[in-house]
Amino acid sequence: MSDTSRLNVIGRPLPRVDALEKVDGKARYVDDYRIEGLVHCAMTLSPHPHAEVLSIRTDEALAVPGVLGVFTAPDVPVNQIGCVFQDQPLLAAERVRFVGDRVALVVAKTRDIARKAAALVKVDYRPLPSVHDAEEALKDVAPKLHAQGNLLAHQKIRFGDAAACLAACDVVVEHEFEVNYQEHAYLEPQGALAVPEAGGGVTIAGSMQCPFYVQSGVARALGLDRNRVRVEQAVTGGGFGGKEEYPSEVAALAALAALATGRPAKLVFSRAEDFQISTKRHRMRMRYKVGADREGKLQAIYVTQFVDSGGYAGLSTVVAERANTTAAGPYFFPNAHVDTFIVYTNNLLGGAFRGFGNPQVTFAIEGMMERLAARLGMDPVELRRKNLLSEGMPLICGQALPPSAPSRDVLDTLAQRSDFDRLRAEALEFNRTHRFRRKGVGLALSMYGCCLHAGGQHLEGSGALVQVRADGSVEVNIGGTELGQGAFTVVAQIAAETLGADYARVRVLPTDTRMVADSGPTVASRTTIMSGNAVRAASLQIRSRLVELAASMLGCPSREVEVGNGAYRQVPVDPPALRPEVSASAPSPVTIDHPSSTISQANVRFPDLCMEAFRRKLHLAASGWYAPPPKPWDKDTGQGIAYSVYCFTGNVAVVEVDLIGGLVKVEKVFAVHDVGQVLNPVTLEGQVHGGIVQGMGWALSENLVLDKGRCLNPGFTDYLIPSSLDMPQMDATFVEEPYPDGPFGAKGIGEPSLISVPTAVALAAGDACGQLPDRLPVTPETVLRWTAKDGNGQ
Amino acid sequence: MVNVTLTLNGEKTACTVLPDEKLLDTLRRLGRTDVKKGCGEGTCGSCSVLLNGRLVASCIVFTAAADGGEILTAAGLGTADNPHPIQSSFVKAGAVQCGFCTPGMVLAAKALLDVVPEPDVQQIKLALDGNLCRCTGYVKIIDAVQSAARTLAGKDEVPHA
Ligand code: FES
Ligand code: FES
Repeated sequence: MSDTSRLNVIGRPLPRVDALEKVDGKARYVDDYRIEGLVHCAMTLSPHPHAEVLSIRTDEALAVPGVLGVFTAPDVPVNQIGCVFQDQPLLAAERVRFVGDRVALVVAKTRDIARKAAALVKVDYRPLPSVHDAEEALKDVAPKLHAQGNLLAHQKIRFGDAAACLAACDVVVEHEFEVNYQEHAYLEPQGALAVPEAGGGVTIAGSMQCPFYVQSGVARALGLDRNRVRVEQAVTGGGFGGKEEYPSEVAALAALAALATGRPAKLVFSRAEDFQISTKRHRMRMRYKVGADREGKLQAIYVTQFVDSGGYAGLSTVVAERANTTAAGPYFFPNAHVDTFIVYTNNLLGGAFRGFGNPQVTFAIEGMMERLAARLGMDPVELRRKNLLSEGMPLICGQALPPSAPSRDVLDTLAQRSDFDRLRAEALEFNRTHRFRRKGVGLALSMYGCCLHAGGQHLEGSGALVQVRADGSVEVNIGGTELGQGAFTVVAQIAAETLGADYARVRVLPTDTRMVADSGPTVASRTTIMSGNAVRAASLQIRSRLVELAASMLGCPSREVEVGNGAYRQVPVDPPALRPEVSASAPSPVTIDHPSSTISQANVRFPDLCMEAFRRKLHLAASGWYAPPPKPWDKDTGQGIAYSVYCFTGNVAVVEVDLIGGLVKVEKVFAVHDVGQVLNPVTLEGQVHGGIVQGMGWALSENLVLDKGRCLNPGFTDYLIPSSLDMPQMDATFVEEPYPDGPFGAKGIGEPSLISVPTAVALAAGDACGQLPDRLPVTPETVLRWTAKDGNGQ
Repeated sequence: MVNVTLTLNGEKTACTVLPDEKLLDTLRRLGRTDVKKGCGEGTCGSCSVLLNGRLVASCIVFTAAADGGEILTAAGLGTADNPHPIQSSFVKAGAVQCGFCTPGMVLAAKALLDVVPEPDVQQIKLALDGNLCRCTGYVKIIDAVQSAARTLAGKDEVPHA
């Protein structure tokens, strides 16, 4: 389906299906649900990074008027939760492992009362030594967080013989990189509502990416069958990965309160709580060694990296798998050795965040390319071009790069579109003529495996339910969710295009576990592909029934029926001798178009066709299911088919640095994305713009400061996410090389939009100051340190 | 307790509030859930309303201090059936993603356009500086404000949602 010229809905800049209900504030986010008898929850959190819980006294809290109950570990039916490993208590019993570990849940008539009472729960702690660095945590002397020790997992890539090759390489470069946490800072905080149901069980509504994770998480913690837990996604105010695994905990707490009190119960985090206790982009330390020959052909890569998981596992091993598998970026290395250590510490919880381990390793590998180029005396862009992977070449996991991999187009388009050489010349010129200001330019590439890694492929199947009503309106349910990224809009387009329906009359309903089979998570930039394919599969079933009907109404063979532009029409396969007959049994809804010069056409409008289908009792509902082929994977060597398809991205950033204050202003960012096929240019650009600004925040101003595991800047006053004044000029370009297994050829965009931005921005800031950055974020302090070292930037 | 009278989207409303109650909490308690709470600390702008025509973060305004005031929220600006040109422009420009910042954003835009009918990009950026958006990168929001300005100045046909 690479030819989109005949499509009516796909590829067009249609307005979002959910925009109108959001501009007047009617869209219902979880805290907007009003419900009879609602009670509110608040949490008592550990102030210690690591401590033994000696006793918990709840009497004072319980005595507060309006308090309905105070719950602690013994009240949780199955107090071992976790998405991958069940190593975490819903409410801590004997031990707390990070600042913010929950010890009690208070339920009260109002949120204020619940919060006040939660502060009155008296917990007696015996503080234990704590560890706040992943590498330190692996030492024998470090306090052990869990029975197995602090090493949660060790992942590997073994491809060729990197150590031997490095020993023989002409040039070897070695460097260590470190990146800090990033907070998602979705504008809507975490929250969930739980309503107890007659006959047992609970209905959850909440801010979330993954209703099926919430369903299984709540069922597990409360000891319920999953069919007793219905989960409906409320309109969700941003996720970016932060509402992947974490909402299961929020929902389980609300469900506990609801079942214990028999009342609908809601838990909504304060902003400070959200900063301290929900997941963050992982802090990582990465040691890279790269070898090449004198011509700049890469020979070997050797990586040792540490992923700080925090007190519990969460999704850390899954995030790390991406850092492990794509540690070499978009470049070909005949030899690779990667060790990725995922480590428990008493820091914040690491978790899913847009890019999922990839932005971290992109910063490292791109930093290595810059260093290697400097060592070789080569142009860094040339070095990249020379070693770029292309279709059929092996990745470090041994997989041959599958089709839809226009890596070279991406780099060439980026260089042209940004006029990279001129940008660099302009920066040099600027720097010659300015004393206290400097300009810099940075370029970074990345490669992202779209959809889930082989390790998670059991979750990869996704479903949809499509129902066509007699009036020609369409209802769609998908297993994926809408977080703001535009998933509902894109699946509405796919349904409208496939069915020949009117886009404006396709309604995508809130994602509900009652409507669709477990479709895995809305993550990994997989929703367009997975839910899109499922909607397409369901729509095709209905369409074939409608084609049969249209054929009988038009009196032509069904192979002559073409669908599009709101109608089913006869397009004779061979130029007809006769005008088509109109089926006698059809009531009125057949119109005969005036024949064009050569071909006669008869058509039935979609709503009329649907009405006739209804009268004839045709089944106009279908469920669709999409699951990609299996991906073999050997986790001891990290060899196999890691991902079904890859997305290539390039960014160029231009910055201006103020040498006096150390501030970096991002002036321009260019983005080139390989997206398979553009389905909706507006939502696509929206993703790219948002990814750029969020990536830039991590590169420069978003610096989460921890003191022994306590976040010192848990709010927007000191944790600076970019505002309208910070945004750069942005330029987004799309390279289209259809993905054969994607709906209409499309791939994902959610995460690629961010991945190489932080690196491009940091490299640009470094370029302005004559430095190569190896820490993120590049704060004003970093810049001032650079310039001081450098004698005022000279 | 303090007795307060507010004119909410044109409707006179009397209520009794605690002396330290914040306007955001009062509004939401009264069912005006189109006013969102992103931080409760005056730092994100999602709770923006117009109080006597001025843009305020309702989470840091005491309700008692707003006594007698006129308040406009996003739902008062226009509705899905009858959107204000600013709201239509937001839909058309693709300025809405998750939508959580949107009710505050459209009011920030209104506050600007009431005073500066034809703002340049820098003026728009300055006016929106207190309203954070984590989704859009602001580009299409700025486009939307510009196009709304054109519409309101009669220089453009009314955009259709
Ligand atoms: S909620 Fe009022 S400024 Fe954030
Ligand atoms: S649209 Fe999500 S915060 Fe602005």
